[in-house]
Amino acid sequence: MSNPSTPDPGPAPGAAVAADAQGMTVVARTQAQMVRRRFFRHRAAMGGLVVLALIVLLAFSSIGFASVPGWWDKDYWSIATVENGGRPTLSVLPTWLGGSGMHLGEHPFGQDNVGKDYFALTMRGVQQSLTIAFVVGLVGTFIGTLVGATAGYFRGRTEAVLMRFTDVMITIPLLVIAAVLGRRYGSSGIVVLGLVIGLVTWTGLARLVRGEFLSLREKEFVEAARAAGTSARRIIVKHMLPNIVGVIIVAATLAIATAILLEAALSFLGFGVQDPDTSLGKLISNYQTAFSTRPWLFWFPGVFIIAIALSVNFIGDGLRDAFDPRQNRVRD
Amino acid sequence: MTTPGMPIGAPLPGPGASGGPDQPAVTESAAEVHVATKLEETAGPGEKEVLRVEDLTVSFPTDDGLVRAVRGVSYAVHEREVLGIVGESGSGKSVSSMAVMGLLPKSARIAGKILYRGDDLLTKSAKQQRALRGRKIAMIFQDPMTALNPVYSIGDQLAEAVLSHEIMPRKQAMARAEEMLGIVGIPQPKKRLDNYPHEFSGGMRQRAMIAMAVINNPDVIIADEPTTALDVTVQAQILETLVQVKDEVNAAIVLITHDLGVVAGMAHRVLVMYAGKPVEIAETDRIFYQPRMPYTAGLLGSIPALESGGAGSRLRPIVGTPPSLINLPKGCPFSPRCPLATDVCHESEPALAATDELGHVAACHHWDKLADVDDPTVYFRTESEAV
Amino acid sequence: MLVFIVRRVIVSFFILLAATFVMYLLTANAGNPLGDLQESRAPNREALIEARIRLLNLDTPAPLRYFIWLKGAAGCLVPFAMECDLGQNLQGQDVTALLGVALPQTLQLVIAATVLAMVLGITVGIVTALRQYSSLDYTVTFSAFLFFSLPIFWVAVLLKEYGAIRFNDWLADPSVPIGVAVVLGVISGLFWMIVISGDRTRRLTTFAAAFVASAGALWLLSETRWFEDPGLGIIVIAVTAVGIAFLTTALVAGFTYRNVLYAALASAGIGIVCHFALASVLDDPSGLTIVGLALVTVAVGLGLGYGLGGLQRRQAMQAAVLTGLGTGALLFLDRLLGAWDTYSDQVGGRVIATIGARTPNFDGTFWEQGLDRATHLILPTIAIVLISFATYTRYTRSSMLEVLNQDYVRTARSKGLAERGVIVKHAFRNAMIPITTLMAFDFAGVLSGAVITENVFGWTGLGRLFADSLRAVDPNPVMGFFLIAGTAAVLFNMLADIAYAFLDPRIRLS
Ligand SMILES: Nc1ncnc2c1ncn2[C@@H]1O[C@H](COP(=O)(O)OP(=O)(O)OP(=O)(O)O)[C@@H](O)[C@H]1O
Ligand code: SF4
Ligand SMILES: [Mg+2]
Repeated sequence: MSNPSTPDPGPAPGAAVAADAQGMTVVARTQAQMVRRRFFRHRAAMGGLVVLALIVLLAFSSIGFASVPGWWDKDYWSIATVENGGRPTLSVLPTWLGGSGMHLGEHPFGQDNVGKDYFALTMRGVQQSLTIAFVVGLVGTFIGTLVGATAGYFRGRTEAVLMRFTDVMITIPLLVIAAVLGRRYGSSGIVVLGLVIGLVTWTGLARLVRGEFLSLREKEFVEAARAAGTSARRIIVKHMLPNIVGVIIVAATLAIATAILLEAALSFLGFGVQDPDTSLGKLISNYQTAFSTRPWLFWFPGVFIIAIALSVNFIGDGLRDAFDPRQNRVRD
Repeated sequence: MTTPGMPIGAPLPGPGASGGPDQPAVTESAAEVHVATKLEETAGPGEKEVLRVEDLTVSFPTDDGLVRAVRGVSYAVHEREVLGIVGESGSGKSVSSMAVMGLLPKSARIAGKILYRGDDLLTKSAKQQRALRGRKIAMIFQDPMTALNPVYSIGDQLAEAVLSHEIMPRKQAMARAEEMLGIVGIPQPKKRLDNYPHEFSGGMRQRAMIAMAVINNPDVIIADEPTTALDVTVQAQILETLVQVKDEVNAAIVLITHDLGVVAGMAHRVLVMYAGKPVEIAETDRIFYQPRMPYTAGLLGSIPALESGGAGSRLRPIVGTPPSLINLPKGCPFSPRCPLATDVCHESEPALAATDELGHVAACHHWDKLADVDDPTVYFRTESEAV
Repeated sequence: MLVFIVRRVIVSFFILLAATFVMYLLTANAGNPLGDLQESRAPNREALIEARIRLLNLDTPAPLRYFIWLKGAAGCLVPFAMECDLGQNLQGQDVTALLGVALPQTLQLVIAATVLAMVLGITVGIVTALRQYSSLDYTVTFSAFLFFSLPIFWVAVLLKEYGAIRFNDWLADPSVPIGVAVVLGVISGLFWMIVISGDRTRRLTTFAAAFVASAGALWLLSETRWFEDPGLGIIVIAVTAVGIAFLTTALVAGFTYRNVLYAALASAGIGIVCHFALASVLDDPSGLTIVGLALVTVAVGLGLGYGLGGLQRRQAMQAAVLTGLGTGALLFLDRLLGAWDTYSDQVGGRVIATIGARTPNFDGTFWEQGLDRATHLILPTIAIVLISFATYTRYTRSSMLEVLNQDYVRTARSKGLAERGVIVKHAFRNAMIPITTLMAFDFAGVLSGAVITENVFGWTGLGRLFADSLRAVDPNPVMGFFLIAGTAAVLFNMLADIAYAFLDPRIRLS
C-alpha cells in the first residue's frame, strides 16, 4: 500500500515568498495561498471534489442518517413485492431522444431479490463505506503521525523501539491483518471496524513522517526553539508539524482511498460489515452471481465505489501537486 | 598527448591582450549602431570568429505569463578568446548559453541566430545539433556535485563523451579519458577512472567535468559559473586548470559568472547582462576601470579587492531586486535601482550604443556621467559611519 | 557489503519472529474455534470439543500456545534435520501438506501476472514521462487512476462474464460482423493516434492507417475463419522477429553503427530457421527441452553478438540475446495456438476458463496442457495486471520525471549523447533505484493480493486456504499462510535493500 510517490515538504508555510530565488516574480504570496491556488487549478482534483461532494450529499440526504429523515420515501430494510423483475425504473433519456423521459420512478436502482429498494440500499452502502473509510483514514493518520513524529523527534531508544515495531507491523500484509481483525470485529458495527482497521494502517505514514522529522529537527528554527527551552510537545506541534502538513494531508487522502477499497475487499471476503448492515463491498459480493440475470444489482454499488475511490484519488493527486509542484515539472 | 587528431601547439597569445590599439577607428555617433557590426569591430585582427550569437531572445510560457528570460543578446567569440558574461542571478546568463547548447526545454521560444563558424545552429536538425554538442561546443556546469551521474564511474562518463561522437573500442576511449584526467591535474588518473563521483571531492569533480568538456577537443567551451559552488581556495585552482586546458586544446571560452573578480584575471572581453539584456560590452580593463553603465559600476562595488581604493567610505551592494521578467518596467530596466536615473530613463529603454572608446558599447542614457568622474563606483558609495 | 547483508538478515529474522507473535495473538482472538461445535447437536458434542481443545492446545493461554507453535515451526528452518510442524487444521490434516499443495498454484497465478504488470507498467510509465502533458500522458494518467480505483473482484466478475462466458459463446461461431470490425477499427485508430501523437496530419494518417489495418485484419481473419483455428504463420513470425531485431537494436545501440543490427537480425534469422529444423523435436517436447532451448538461444545470441559486434560487442550481444528470446517466444506462442483446435474440442468449446487452475483430469500433449494452463491463467492475470500496472505506471512516471530534472541528465545531453542513451543509460538507470523498492514491496504483497484473486477465480491456492480457514476460525492454516506471506515480505524487503545498495554505488561502499 505504498503511495506512488513521496511528497517533499515545501518551504516553511507562512513565510512570504518574496521574489523567488530566480528573481522571476516579485508578488509576495504566502505558501498557503499558493497551495490553494494550485489546488483549485487542478482540474481533475476539482472534478473529484465536486463528484465526491455530490455523492456524500446524495447518500446522506436521500435516506437520511441517524434519526434525521431524508427525502427518499423508502428505506433499505423493508421487504416488498418484487415488481417487474426488480428492474430499475431510473430513466435519464429524455423523450425527444426516444427515451421515456427523465424520472426516478418507483425503484430507480431496482429491487433486490426480496424486494428491498436498491436505491436506498445502495445509499446506505455508500454511507457505511464512506464512514469506515473516513474513520480508518483519521485513525491511521493520527497514529502514523504520532508514531513518526515521536520517533523522529526524540531519536535514540524511543525511535528504535517505535520503528522496529513499525517494521513488525509492516511485515503483516494489510489485507491479511485487516481480515483477521475484521473476522473478530466485523459484527461490532462499522465504527469499531473502522477503528480497528485504522489501528493497523498507519505504518507507511509513520515512516514518512519520521523521515521528514529527522531532517526537520536539524533546521535552525527547531534548534532555536529547543535552545529557548520550548517544550518538546510545543516544538512538535507548533513548529514541526505545520511544516509537513502537506505530506500528512496527502497521505491521509490516499489512505481514505485505500480504505474504501479495503473495506470493499473485506466485505467481499466476508470479513467486513456483517448482516443485517450493509456496505458497497457487501452489496457487490452478495449479488455477484446475479450478474447475468440482474446486472443492475452489481453495477450500481460498483459504480459508486469506483466513483468514490477515483474522486478521492484525484483529490489526493491534486493536493500533492499543490503542496509539491516541483515534482511534476520537467526542466530540460 | 598522444591521441591523433588533437592538435597541440604553443599557446598563442590571447586576442584581447593585444587587440585594442590596432583596431580601425569608428565614428562615434552616439545613437544606435548595429550591435553586431559593433561586435565585429571589437575583434582582434586575424582572429577567426567561432561562435556568434545574434539578437538571441528566449522566452518561456508559464502559468503566470511569458517569462522573457533573454531579450536580444548578441556577442561573438573568436578562436582562443575568453569572453566573460557577467550579471546578477536571473539575468539570463544560463538560459542564453543553454540556448547555444540546444539544451533548453521544449517549451522555450527561441529567436535570433546562433552561428557556429557561420552556420546557424537554430536551423539545424536535432541530429546535426547533437553532432556539434559536446564535440565542437562543450559546456561545464555550475554544480559539480550534481552534474555527474552518481551511478557510473568517472571513466565511464568520460569515455561516453568520446563514444557519443566516435565509434571506437571502449579501451581506446578509456585511454583518452585517463589522459584527460591527467591533464586536468588529477593524480593517478588510471586508478581514478574506476571511482564513482561520490568518491571525488568537489574540486576534483569539477576537474573531471572540465576533462569531459575538452575530451573531444572542442572549439568553444561554455563554462557556466564553474567555480561558484566551490570553496575559495579551490576556485583559483579550477580557473587555472581551465585556462591551461584551453591552451592545450586551443578552445575559446565563454565564462559565465556573477563575480567580476573571476572574470578579471581571465577574460579578454566582458559582456554584462541585466534583466535578459546585454547592457555593456568592453574589454576587461575598460569594464573594470572605465565602466559606462551604472549597473556595471554597481557590480564593481561588490568586489572587496577594489574597495581599498575608496578610503573613508564604504561600498554598498546595489539596492533593490531585479525586475520581474514577466512585467518589465517601462524604460531602462535598471532605472528603479539606478542612482543616476532621470526622467528619460523611466520613459525609454536605452539601446546598446557606442561610448567614448572603440569597441566599448553600453546601454545607458547617461554613460557620459560615468566618464566624467575618476572612480565610477562613487555613485554607489555611502559616507562611512566609522573613521 | 557482506556485513551489511548479514546484519540485515539477522534483523529481518527477528522482525519476522515478532510479526508471527502479533499475528498469532490476533488469529487466536479472531473468533471462537469451538463455536461450530458448541452450536452443533451432535450426540458426542462434548467429546468433539474435548478433542479439538487437545488438537489446538486450547487449554493453554494464547501467548504460551504461540511457543508451542513456534517450536514446531522452528523445525522448518533446518529442512532435513528437524521436522517442520505447523500444526493441523480442524480436520486434522497437516498444515505443511496443505501449504505444499497450495503454494505452487499461487506462485503460478501471481508470478507471471506480477512480472507482466511490472514490465508493462514501467514501460508505459517511461513513455508517459517522456511525453509529459501529451494526450497519451493524460489518457494513461486517467486510466491509471481509474484502474487503481477498481475493486479487483468487481473487475473479475466483469472479466468472467465478457472475457469468458460471452467470448466462448462467440467462439462457437466466430465471425466478426462488418459493423463490429468498423467499431473496433475506430477504437484501434484512436488508440494509435493517442500513442503516436504529433501534428494534425500525422494524427490523422495514423488514425486512418490503424483503422484500415485493424478493421481490415479483423475482416480478413473473420472471412478466413482464422478464429476457429488461430495461429501466427511463419510470415507473421518472420516479420515480427525482424521487427524485434530492429526494436532491440534501437534500444541498446541505435543504428549509427550497423554491426549491432546485423547481430540482432542474424539472431532472428537463426530462430526462424530453427523453427523448421526443430519441427519434430517441438511436436511434443518436455518442459526441460524448452528450458534447454532457451539456454541454447541465449548462448547462440551471445556468440553472435561477440562475433558480429565489432566495436560495439557488448551492445550486440545484448541485442542478439533479446532478439533470440523474443523470436523464441513468438515460436512458442505459435505452437500453443497450434493446439487450439484439438484443445477446443476436448473442452467442449469453452476455451477460456472462469474457475480453477486446470481443467480437471485433462490430459494432452505438452502444447495442449500449456494451452490449458494459459486459458485458465488469462483472466486472473488480466485482473491482477490491470490493477498493479497502474501503480507501476504512476510510480515510474514520477520517478522518471524527477530524474529527468537532474543535472546529470543535462550533462549527458551536453556531451552530445544521443537521446536514446540519455534515457536508457542515464535516466532509466537512476529512476530504477526507487522502483526496485516498489517491486520488492509488490512481490512481498503478492501473496496477500492472491487472497482476493483466488477467491474470485476459484483457485485453491494459499489465498483461498487463508480465507477459508479464517472463516472457519482454523488458526493453524492461517498462521501457515502468514508464515509464508510474512517470510516473503521480509525476504523481499531485504532483497530491496540489497538491490538498492547494488544499484546505488553511494550506498554500496558505506
Ligand atoms: N524553464 C523555464 N521556465 C520558465 N522560466 C525559466 C526557465 N528557465 C529559466 N527561467 C527564468 O529565466 C530567467 C533567467 O534564468 P538564468 O538561469 O539564465 O539566470 P542566470 O543569469 O543564469 O542566473 P544564476 O546566476 O542564478 O545562474 C530566470 O528568471 C528564470 O526564472
Ligand atoms: S539609462 Fe538611466 S536608469 Fe538606466 S542605467 Fe543609465 S542612467 Fe541608469
Ligand atoms: Mg545560471
